[in-house]
Amino acid sequence: MGRYILNRLVRWIPSVFILLLLVYALVFFGAGDPIKLIFLQAPGDVAYDPARIDAIREAAGLNRPFLLQFWDYVLNVAQGNFGNSLVSGRSVNAMISAAVPVTLKIGLTAIVLVSVVGILLGVIAALNQNKWLDNLIVGFALVIWGIPVFVAGPLITVFLVLVLDFDVPYGWGGLFSTKVIVPLLVIGLNPMALIIRQARAGVLEVLSEDYVRTARAKGIPNYQVVMRHIMRPVLTPVVSQIGLLVIATLNNSILIEKVFGLPGLGRMTETAIKSSDYPVIMAIVLIFSIVVMASNLLVDISYPLLDPRAAAKKTEDE
Amino acid sequence: MKTSFRKYLMIGLAATALSTTGLPAWADQVLNIAHPVLEQSWSPLQGGGHVARWQSLQWAAPMYFDKDGKLTPYVLSSAKPDESFKTWTLSIDPKAVFSDGSKITAQDIVGTWNLCARPATKHARVNLFLGDVEGFNDVVVGKAKDMTGLVVNDDQTVTVTLAGPDPIFDQKIATALIPPVKISQAVDESGAQKADWWRPENGVVVSGPFMPESMDLDQGIVTLVPNPHFFGPKPKLEKIVLTTVSDPITATLMLQRGDMDAATELITPTIIQDLGADFLGGPALAKGQQFWFDASKPPMDDINVRKALTMSVNPQELALAAFPDGPFTVADQILNKVPGVDPDFPKFAYDPEAAKAALAASKYKGSDRLPKIMFVGISTPTHEAAAQYIAEQWRKVLGIQGTEMKPAIETYAGPDQKSVQVFRDDVGTRVPDAVSYLMGSIHSGSGNALNKMGGYKNAEVDKLLDEASVKGVADPDRIGNAQKAQRLFREDWMYIPYYYDVMSKWAMPWVQNFDKNDDWQVIEPWNVTIDEEKRPS
Repeated sequence: MGRYILNRLVRWIPSVFILLLLVYALVFFGAGDPIKLIFLQAPGDVAYDPARIDAIREAAGLNRPFLLQFWDYVLNVAQGNFGNSLVSGRSVNAMISAAVPVTLKIGLTAIVLVSVVGILLGVIAALNQNKWLDNLIVGFALVIWGIPVFVAGPLITVFLVLVLDFDVPYGWGGLFSTKVIVPLLVIGLNPMALIIRQARAGVLEVLSEDYVRTARAKGIPNYQVVMRHIMRPVLTPVVSQIGLLVIATLNNSILIEKVFGLPGLGRMTETAIKSSDYPVIMAIVLIFSIVVMASNLLVDISYPLLDPRAAAKKTEDE
Repeated sequence: MKTSFRKYLMIGLAATALSTTGLPAWADQVLNIAHPVLEQSWSPLQGGGHVARWQSLQWAAPMYFDKDGKLTPYVLSSAKPDESFKTWTLSIDPKAVFSDGSKITAQDIVGTWNLCARPATKHARVNLFLGDVEGFNDVVVGKAKDMTGLVVNDDQTVTVTLAGPDPIFDQKIATALIPPVKISQAVDESGAQKADWWRPENGVVVSGPFMPESMDLDQGIVTLVPNPHFFGPKPKLEKIVLTTVSDPITATLMLQRGDMDAATELITPTIIQDLGADFLGGPALAKGQQFWFDASKPPMDDINVRKALTMSVNPQELALAAFPDGPFTVADQILNKVPGVDPDFPKFAYDPEAAKAALAASKYKGSDRLPKIMFVGISTPTHEAAAQYIAEQWRKVLGIQGTEMKPAIETYAGPDQKSVQVFRDDVGTRVPDAVSYLMGSIHSGSGNALNKMGGYKNAEVDKLLDEASVKGVADPDRIGNAQKAQRLFREDWMYIPYYYDVMSKWAMPWVQNFDKNDDWQVIEPWNVTIDEEKRPS
C-alpha cells in the first residue's frame, strides 16, 4: 500500500506541472492583461496611456517572455512562494492561507453531511421501493438535482428573509456558527441527489442477491441484514462518487461563498478571475487540483477496505 | 428575530440555528456600507476602483468642491497662480495634521504626488490631476523618480511649475484621489510604495475625519472610527463598517432590512422597485451619456447618414426606454452642470420625415445598401433597453435591419472589432469648467475623439478650445469660445444625446447628509448621521 501511495504521489508531479503550464498559458495569452484591466475596468475618465501601461508592466516584470515568467513562477512555487497579487500587491500566501481553511471546512462538512444523509435516504428509498416514501425521496432527489446551485442560493435566501422574516444569512463565524447552516444546505443539495440515486440503485441491486435472501431466511433481523450484508457492497460505488462530490463542492463554493459572504477560496476565485490576477488564479488552481487528486487517492485507498477483491487487484498492480 | 413560535416549530432546527444568524447588532450611529468587491488593497494611491470612492472618509483632499460646487480649502489653505498661470504656490493649512497629531508638510505633498506618478504605484487617474506638471511625463514612464516641477519651498509651501499655462490647476487638484499621505510611511528606500502601509496593524496615520480601527481583508470587513486629531469638524458617526457583499440580491435584501445603510455601487434591473427612486437619486453631475458615431467607418463616414440616424430617434422616448421608472434628465448638448451650459443650444429634433430625406440624400441612397451597424458599451440592462429602442426606431423610420450590440470594446473579439460604429459612453469633467469638459470630449486630442469618434478632428473646434484653455477663469471668452466650439461640433452630427448622469447616493433614506460630489466622494463625511427612527428595527 505504501509503495502504491508513493507511486501515485510521484505521478502527481508531472501532472501538476503540465496543469500549471496550461493554466498559466491560458491566463497569460487569453484572459487579458491585468494591468490594462485595472484601467479598462474603472469607469469614467481613467487616463489610458499605452506608454504608461508599458512602464507599469515593465515595473511588474510582465514584459518578459512567457516561458521565463513561467519558469520563475515554478521556481518560486517550489519554494512555497506564490508571489504577490498583481492588482493589490498583497502576498498570495497570506491570502491563500486565510481562505483555504474556510473552504476546506465548509467543503468537508458538506461532503460528510451529503454522504451520510444521501446514503441514508437512498437506503430508505430502496427498502421501500415503489411505496410513497420511495416516491417522495426519489421525487425530492429529482427536484434538487434539477435546481442549480446559483438558483438555489439566492432563492433560499430570499425565501428565508422575505417570507419567513429571518435575518440575512451572511458572513463567517466559524464552522460551528449558525451562519454556515444555510450555505451548507445549499452547497449540499445538488450533489446529494447523486448520492441518493446511487445508494438506492446499489441497494436494489444487492437486495435480489442470494446471500441477502439467505440471511433473511435465517431470521437475521432486518437492520442487521442491512448493516452487515447490504451496506458494504453498496458503499463501494457510492464512495467512488465522492471524487465527483469534491469537484462539485469546489465548483459550488465559488458561488456559495459569494452569496453568503464566506471568506474562502471560491470568493477569491471570482475576484481574481475578474481582474486576471494570475498569481492568485494559479495558486487557487494548484490548491484545487491537489485537493481533487488527494480525494481521488483517498477513494482509491478506501476500495480495498470495502471490497477485498479490490485489495487483491491492488496487490497485483504493485 | 421576528419568527413566530408556530413558524419556529415548522422550521425546527434550521430556525433555531438561523435565529442568531446575521451581522452583529450595531450601536447607534454606526453606518453600515455594503461594498461589492473583496478588496485586497485600501491604499489611497490607487486613483480608481471601488476603494477610491470612500477616500474622503479617511483622507483629506488638497482641496474639495462643496455642495454648491464651490472650491473649498482643506489641506491646502490656498493655491495661487502667477500671471502666466504656469507657476502655482500651494500653501498648507497650519492646522492640517495627521491622526497622530503630526503636521502635514510640503514634503508629504510632493512625496505623495511623485509616488502617485511612478508606474509601480498604478494610479489610474494621476494624469488628469498632475499631467501638466513639469517632468510628469518622465516619471510616469519610469525615466525619472521625481517631477522637476514640484519643489518644496519650506515645510508649509510647495511651488508647482507646469509645462504650460493652466488657469484651473487649483480645481484639478481639488480631489480626494491624490490625498497627501505621511510619505515616510508610504514609500520605501527604492522609491516604491511600501506593501500594506495603509493597514492599521502597520500604524498608518490618516488625515481625514475617520481612521481605520481594523481591516480584515480576508473577511472583507473594514471598520473606521473617528480620527481624534482631525483638523476639521468633529465627525458625528461613531463608526463606519464597510462589509464586502458581492452578491447584488443579498445586498438588496440587507438594505431593505436595514442591515446595511448604503452601498458603494449597486446595479440591478429592479433596483427602483426594491429600494425606491431616492436610493439612486442625487445631484446632477457634470457628465452625460451619448451614443457616439465613429465617422471613420462606413456608413458613419457620410454626414447625411449620421443626420438620418440622429433625427429618427426621439430623445424623450430614448431616455424613457432606459429609465421607465425614472428619474432621468434627457440630454441635448454635451455640456451639463458647469458654468457655460448654452441656454440657446439648438436641440436635435425628432423628425422622421427629415431623417428619411437625409438617408435618401446620402451616398447609400437608402437602408438596403447600408452595412451592419454595430454598437458597443451596451453593458447594463438600462443601456440595452436604450440601444434596442434606437435600433427599433431605425428599423421603423429608416428600414434599417442590420444592427448588433456588445457590452464592451475589449470583449468585442474577432474581425468585427474594427467595424464598430456606435459607442455608448459618457463624457464629463471633475472640475466646473466648460473648456475642460469639451477638451476631454470633442477636442481632437481627447480619448473620446480618438477612440470613440474614429479620430474626429474639426480644426475650428480645436482652435477655439485651445485658445480658451489658456484664458483665465474670469475671462468671458473662455466660456464664449467653449459654447462656439460646442455649436460647431453639433453641426457635424457626431452623436445621439442620451441622458445626463446624477451622482447617485446609493444610500437608504435614513442616511442623512450623504451628498457626494463629482469626484464620487462623500462631500462632508463628518456631517453624516443616521435617522434611527426611519431605519427598520
